[in-house]
Amino acid sequence: MKNLKLIFVLAAVMALSACQSRVEYGDATEVETVNENFGSTDLQDIAAKMVDSMMAFPPVVVMTQSNRPIVFVDKIKNKTSEHIDTESVTDTISNKLLRSGKFRFIDMTKVDTVRKQLDYQNNAGMVDPTTAIKFGRQIGAQFMLYGNLSSIVKQDGSTKDVYYKMTMRLMDLETGLIEWSDEKEIRKVKSKSFLGL
Amino acid sequence: MKTCGLLLILSLYLSGCAFNSVFVNYPSQIAPYKQQLNSDTPTANITDLAANISGNDGLLYAQESGRIMQVSGNFTRSKTYYQQAIDAYQAFDDKAVVSASELGAGASSLLLNDNAIPYRGPGYERIMLHQYQALNYLFSGDAQGALVEIRRSNELQSMEQARYQESQKSVQAMANGTIDAQMAQLGKAAGNVTSSFLNAYSYYTTGLLHELANEPNDAFIDYRKAAQITPDNVYLQQDLVRLAKQLNMPQYDEFKRRWGDAILPTAEQGQVVFIIERDFVPEKQSITVPFPINGNVQSASLATYQAQRQLVDNSQIQGLGAPLTAQTIANIDALAINALKEDLPAALFRQAARVYAKYQMNRSVQSSRGPNNPIDAGALVMQLFNVITEQADRRSWLTLPRQAQIARQFMAAGSYNVRLNNSQNVKIDVKSQRVTLIWAIETGNRTRFYSIII
Repeated sequence: MKNLKLIFVLAAVMALSACQSRVEYGDATEVETVNENFGSTDLQDIAAKMVDSMMAFPPVVVMTQSNRPIVFVDKIKNKTSEHIDTESVTDTISNKLLRSGKFRFIDMTKVDTVRKQLDYQNNAGMVDPTTAIKFGRQIGAQFMLYGNLSSIVKQDGSTKDVYYKMTMRLMDLETGLIEWSDEKEIRKVKSKSFLGL
Repeated sequence: MKTCGLLLILSLYLSGCAFNSVFVNYPSQIAPYKQQLNSDTPTANITDLAANISGNDGLLYAQESGRIMQVSGNFTRSKTYYQQAIDAYQAFDDKAVVSASELGAGASSLLLNDNAIPYRGPGYERIMLHQYQALNYLFSGDAQGALVEIRRSNELQSMEQARYQESQKSVQAMANGTIDAQMAQLGKAAGNVTSSFLNAYSYYTTGLLHELANEPNDAFIDYRKAAQITPDNVYLQQDLVRLAKQLNMPQYDEFKRRWGDAILPTAEQGQVVFIIERDFVPEKQSITVPFPINGNVQSASLATYQAQRQLVDNSQIQGLGAPLTAQTIANIDALAINALKEDLPAALFRQAARVYAKYQMNRSVQSSRGPNNPIDAGALVMQLFNVITEQADRRSWLTLPRQAQIARQFMAAGSYNVRLNNSQNVKIDVKSQRVTLIWAIETGNRTRFYSIII
């Protein structure tokens, strides 16, 4: 009976004495291991690997020597068992490629907005026709960048193993040839703690 | 003194515990909400129910709230509630092997009853949660999100399968991918053994969504597993033959021999796929056995299900040419009964420990006042406390259907008025080369239809 009481008191004390919450700034590139789910470190690793690999690939180096090829990014297909914002992954990759000064990009997510704006400039009667940007003057993309993100998850007792594989490819739209392709693998193993709250 | 004690217990019983399963049995909390699903205001007072999500049994209330929202057609709100349940399951997964909070809950279950242990659903509930979440995503137009949920339920399904792999031969056969006729024979005789622990409805839904997402190979795998569990479903058999033919699978000849050749839709035809959910899963009942130990009344309560399983007839679908009879894909009630059966040994163990703890408490009160004093108010209060707090753990996801049925038909493009049993007519559209998915949920005397063309 005494032991029972002791357990109760202990449980109550532990339940009540939660730490006060606080907020502080951290380094955005710091390794993040809050849990085994897809996180910022995975995103940064994938983007860095893909961009480095593409820029260092000899045919791509030759291709970007004299001109800046125009690329559009197709959505990366999420084939994992997590809800991942793959647009954010492609944003980071296209950002890095654009900042290298070797590629130019067409943003397919903004086509509708652009169409509305051009429609307004040309047909609303509000804009000076000499300054209105005409339809049909945009430049077509020469390459398409696309990819897949897949995962294999295994769980047994207190161990959980998550494996991610990101595959990316650059296709020449004129010839249909794949000019570059690479993949980045990530493996994370999580083991449960033995003691805890 | 006696009335004082009674009042004390009464106040304990009523004081703000209206939604706490420790004192008020769970089915009676959910009953009004189930009733409401048959009315025009299915989601009235849902915020009262959802307020419990932050509590001990948050997982269960999140499942119920999500399901009520889903049945009433509010897929966005349902998605939010289900996500809370999914997060709760994940938090359970992340708990340490020896967790202080679990020890605490175990200790209070010794003093009160099993309802003091935070609810953690059986395997099939968790799989169904992801399956329903996938349908939420699909019906709100996010096919990619739906596939993510499908993959999650696939992962859980394989874990569940592995759990039974060692003990159940039929599951081994399933892992090998062989559908043996012997198994089907056994299933008939023994009331379908496999189907009481593995859920063919989940496999069928994941298969269907894979098929709709143009991943026929993945669909084939899930359909095959569903067929292993429910071998007699002709729609499932046809799906398998059709996919085997499309994919040039080596099993095609065998399937054709057993179930007849595949019927493929013509170029002008579209497919109409029905998933039909009927009624509600049964509630757990409680049996209480009072018995005296050394003159102290103790009682033991255990959860159980009614012995006789209520049968559901196959739905008749009118309005698509000749009447179509849907066929059972899974009995959720059988899964529930089996889950309870599995949980029973642990519950019995806790019960024995609790009887002992309560007996010790009784004795400690008595011995302080002198032994066997018949009008000892403290001992009396203690005994009343014991009897009142001894409640069976009757918690389970109660807004789930009792049974799921499926049907599939190829129809020429156009509009049709469809009726299920005695329901009202609903207009559905069929487009050539496309699939019209109709999800019909019958809750007692009301049937709701949700359809989407993919």
